[in-house]
Amino acid sequence: MTPGPLLLFAFLTLATGVVVGVRLSRTWLGLTLAGTVSGLSAALMVLLGAPDWEWRSAFSLGGEFVHLRLDGVSALFLVLLCMGGGAGAIYARDYWSEHRYPDSAPRGRAWWSAMLLSMGLVLTVSNGLHFLIAWELFALCGYFLITLDRQRREVRSAGWVYLVASHAGTVFLFAFFSTLAARTGGWDLGPMREQTGLAPLFWLALVGFGVKAGFFPLHIWLPSAHANAPSHVSAIMSGVAIKMGIYGIVRFSGWLPVPSAAGWVVIGLGATSALLGIAFAFAQNDFKRLLAYSSVENIGVILIGVGAALLAVTHGDALWGRLAFAGALLHVWNHGAFKSLLFFGAGSVLHATGTREMSKLGGLWRTMLWTAGFFVLGSLAVSALPPLNGFVSEWLVYLGLFDAATSKGPAAWAAMPAAIMLAMAGALAMASFAKAGAMIFLGAPRTQVATHAHECGMWMRGPMLALAVVCVTIGLAPILFWPVVARVVGSWRPAWITMEAPAPLLTLGAVHVGLAILVLMAAAWLWRKAHANSLRRGLTWDCGYAMPAARMQYTSASFGGIVAGWFGWVLQPERKMRRPRGPFPAEAIRLERIPETVLDRIIGPVSVAIMQVSTSVRRLQHGRLQFYILYVVAGLIALGVLVLLGGAP
Amino acid sequence: MNLILDLVLRLAVWMLLAPLLPGIINKVKARVAGRRGPPVLQLYYDLAKLWRKGVVLSTLASPGFVAGPAVAWVALTGAAMLMPLGPAGSILSFRGDVLLLIYLLALARFCTAWAAMETGSAFEGMGAAREVSYAVLAEAAIIAAVLSLSVQTGSVSLVTMLSPSAGAGAVLLAAGLFTVLLAENCRVPFDDPNTHLELTMIHEVMVLDHSGPPLAAILHGASVKLLLFALLLVQAVLPTGKSSPLVAAGALVAGVLVVTVSVGLVESFLARLAFRRVPLLLTTAFLFCLFALLVAWKGGAE
Repeated sequence: MTPGPLLLFAFLTLATGVVVGVRLSRTWLGLTLAGTVSGLSAALMVLLGAPDWEWRSAFSLGGEFVHLRLDGVSALFLVLLCMGGGAGAIYARDYWSEHRYPDSAPRGRAWWSAMLLSMGLVLTVSNGLHFLIAWELFALCGYFLITLDRQRREVRSAGWVYLVASHAGTVFLFAFFSTLAARTGGWDLGPMREQTGLAPLFWLALVGFGVKAGFFPLHIWLPSAHANAPSHVSAIMSGVAIKMGIYGIVRFSGWLPVPSAAGWVVIGLGATSALLGIAFAFAQNDFKRLLAYSSVENIGVILIGVGAALLAVTHGDALWGRLAFAGALLHVWNHGAFKSLLFFGAGSVLHATGTREMSKLGGLWRTMLWTAGFFVLGSLAVSALPPLNGFVSEWLVYLGLFDAATSKGPAAWAAMPAAIMLAMAGALAMASFAKAGAMIFLGAPRTQVATHAHECGMWMRGPMLALAVVCVTIGLAPILFWPVVARVVGSWRPAWITMEAPAPLLTLGAVHVGLAILVLMAAAWLWRKAHANSLRRGLTWDCGYAMPAARMQYTSASFGGIVAGWFGWVLQPERKMRRPRGPFPAEAIRLERIPETVLDRIIGPVSVAIMQVSTSVRRLQHGRLQFYILYVVAGLIALGVLVLLGGAP
Repeated sequence: MNLILDLVLRLAVWMLLAPLLPGIINKVKARVAGRRGPPVLQLYYDLAKLWRKGVVLSTLASPGFVAGPAVAWVALTGAAMLMPLGPAGSILSFRGDVLLLIYLLALARFCTAWAAMETGSAFEGMGAAREVSYAVLAEAAIIAAVLSLSVQTGSVSLVTMLSPSAGAGAVLLAAGLFTVLLAENCRVPFDDPNTHLELTMIHEVMVLDHSGPPLAAILHGASVKLLLFALLLVQAVLPTGKSSPLVAAGALVAGVLVVTVSVGLVESFLARLAFRRVPLLLTTAFLFCLFALLVAWKGGAE
């Protein structure tokens, strides 16, 4: 059996899903699951050792023969796609149900299948023209999924920003693929590392795919799109869709030669993205926006690993490069798993309370124990805390950076700052998720909606459980995943095929298992001991205050206040303050909002300026004929003067 | 068999010796102030008492309120097991264990902050916010320190990193790590373990609502963390790997005692810093470690 029939089956089921999804929700779910499972098995076959799969059609499509290819790199991302796509489809059954959204639920199902299909095509096509078509389809499906709930104004505006940003990126990709086709004489893609003249094209690809990946400062579309989309869409956008940008960068830095500065730039972008992304996340009050900014951080972590790999390529294929690259690749999966888990958890909270403001929630653990548990697990994983999967991949990236530093080559000057920034980003991630989890689930309910929350149903808990299992498995048995990652590393750069794990993953896994057992045992023991000693419930002490109220709790803005102060130069918080006045102050207000700094302060003003210039230029066009004749005459005179002064005709 | 014996012995040493450190610090502080002070073993008595006491839980608290201190304690003890003990080496050493150690400390921090937020009290929220925020700078300093040791020795495993001295950068590294030790263990000038003015504290305020066995786990964990940092500092600075085992063990014990007494002296002669100055001092610690890194870089290049 080769991956071909499985992929064909996946294609057919998903394509049928697009058609029947509008009407038959059960059939659609079955088809989507069948499609994702068969896609997953095809990808796993390749990852577990089957040779790369390639297929060329006898017919042509748009003047080009269809050329499909499933190698290690594609398969890695295909696994992620199938995992996220399947889990999201199940989750959406209750979350975006026919009952609650009779209008948009059918549309959502059809676009979901189309989105999976187009992303699958992006991953498998090996022809520049078809790649662009698939990429464009994928971007459009994303737009329609984000704007499922298009009655709301902020959803439409988020969708608009996404669409514009996405197409700005696609412009660069057009330039990239057409230049590539012009230089190589055909649209067909494949390894062409020897043609060193193609190296500068990397910059076009970096910007074009970077917009989709959403690294800082190209992340402008990401926070509002992820926050305003339905949560299952946020999960696939954040877990899978932005990885398509990473796929592009990884794919074409593997197939094409890269300029020698590429590693430095990518590692720098990654480190900046990690630190600033998570600083923005920590300052947010909207939990979905916090998760979105945390994606910017995680893309940064991945790019640090990719950048280290690119650096290693130009530094004599150093071993540390493949270590960091392996970490980055594993982080692609890990981030897909725990971020989807967190977005599903966020979706359950949103489903139960209808608000994304952390300051309106609190105390939800009482009514939503499952969701709270999954969210905590996701938080631990995303904060890269042992013994979960986030730590494994970041640990590999760290090891790569440390080895680069100890090798004392010039690359150390990139690796050392990156390691320090990664550490700071890690500490901030922990702070952000301690804040998010605590504000949503702990303490007393701050409003009525939080009091009346309810747990989500089985259809929503199931996918969360599956993703949680993935997080725990990668955390406890990382050695199982090494062959897969090594296969991809080898497929990215054939010189880097290494059989044995260069890092003591087995030991780390054993330590993680021990840690997990001890943690559970200690918690159970202390709980029992507390009960055995006599356990009494009482009011929170609160410094002796007799009547603590929910509004007296620390808010998310005050929790993030210290760090928001440090990063004030980039966060540019907007403050609104009314101090208490007089002996019996009636009201006092302090509001703080973090704007979309890059969008509001840079892109916004620049666009407005361009619009103003354009409007003023348009005044020249007013429809009065005599002036037009004047323009023509003035133009002729100017040309005449130019010729008289000796300009070449 | 040997491995199990080693593990048991190590655990016993850490469990039993760690609570001594806060006792010594308090004794030093009392002596400097001209008082007799509590007995050195006071923390042991407190722990024994707390372990037998009942628990009062906040009405708002989830089981995480009790699980948090337990997980934090396991994480801290796990980190302690990774720390080599001079001539006795380490029970488990692998490439990158130092990173696991740092992230175990982060896990402990997450759990402490989580348990603090369980009560819904503004005071605990304040403490947790301060703890996680200042940790960002402390983490940067620690990574810079670890990088400098790594560059110095060309290794990413604690045993080899800690056996030679830190070379020319030792003084810088000592200054940086000592400041981080003070910050991470909530000592003056970052935090005052004595006051019970909640508004001014970081760590103490996070554990205000804990009682009984969970509080015992927190206090014991804190003493393990203090010993951990003291050992890290001493081994990073002293060339324990080159001398004979007996001398090395003696130097280690003496070093830890010096660090402990210094903490007590700092606490006696310095006042707590205003909160807005805390980041400045932590940045200074980071810069010390960064310069140590540059010195290590320079030193190896010759």
